[in-house]
Amino acid sequence: MNRPFALIVTDTSPLFTLVLAGALDTLLRPGLPVRIPDAVYIEATRVHGAPGAEQIVEWINAHLDLVQIVPTDIGIDQQRRLEEGRATRGLGEQAAIEVLERFFRGDATAEALLLFEDADIEKRRAIVDQRVGLISTGDFLRELEAAGLIQSTDHILDQATAQGRNVERQRRAGEHSATRTRLRGQLARRADD
Amino acid sequence: MTEGERVRLIRQYAAGEITWHELRERGFSDYVQVLGALGEAGLRPPVARMDGPNTDARRRGRALVREALRQRG
Repeated sequence: MNRPFALIVTDTSPLFTLVLAGALDTLLRPGLPVRIPDAVYIEATRVHGAPGAEQIVEWINAHLDLVQIVPTDIGIDQQRRLEEGRATRGLGEQAAIEVLERFFRGDATAEALLLFEDADIEKRRAIVDQRVGLISTGDFLRELEAAGLIQSTDHILDQATAQGRNVERQRRAGEHSATRTRLRGQLARRADD
Repeated sequence: MTEGERVRLIRQYAAGEITWHELRERGFSDYVQVLGALGEAGLRPPVARMDGPNTDARRRGRALVREALRQRG
């Protein structure tokens, strides 16, 4: 594997799964440069205080030698859409394609690995090019498991869902608390009338 | 989306019947919500079967990761 090579993250789901499981470092185990399109990065981190967002930022900063955020035209479009309050769904994947094209423009003999979410990659047709390999979060973890580098794929996925459940419960508790506060305010105003 | 619809969709997703793409179109705004809903239902994210339109490219992908790991020793 002497040709230029990159692992391109096409969606936020692998990042969220791994960050909630406390396993983002698994992405670095193969020793491949990791490229995250700006649109994927923004989608994962744009909400301040969102679960996992801060850890993703910290992790990228701790591994700038291997992990790179790649600017794209799609990312610029995403910014514009966010400012205008328009939908930004699916832009991460389009940005990943742009990253891939730029990567090959730099060296046509390069190879790339695109990291997808499992259900999407099983059902939706993606790029077919001999220079491109596709991998899902599950496939990736299974390879690490087979190489003895992680305890088990299921363990990581269970950790991610357990943490996701805690996050959702906290979110709901926060919403209930805000609702109670609003209700108390309304009742107090009525009592004053 | 009602709680019942949310649970039904997340079960379909865990069973590999619908995609993350479809969940997003039906109202899940981010993947943390999906992981949370899976956790609440005692389910795990689906791991793709080696099937479907991208099988060759996925085999190539797994082989590339295996080779990279082998080279790292």
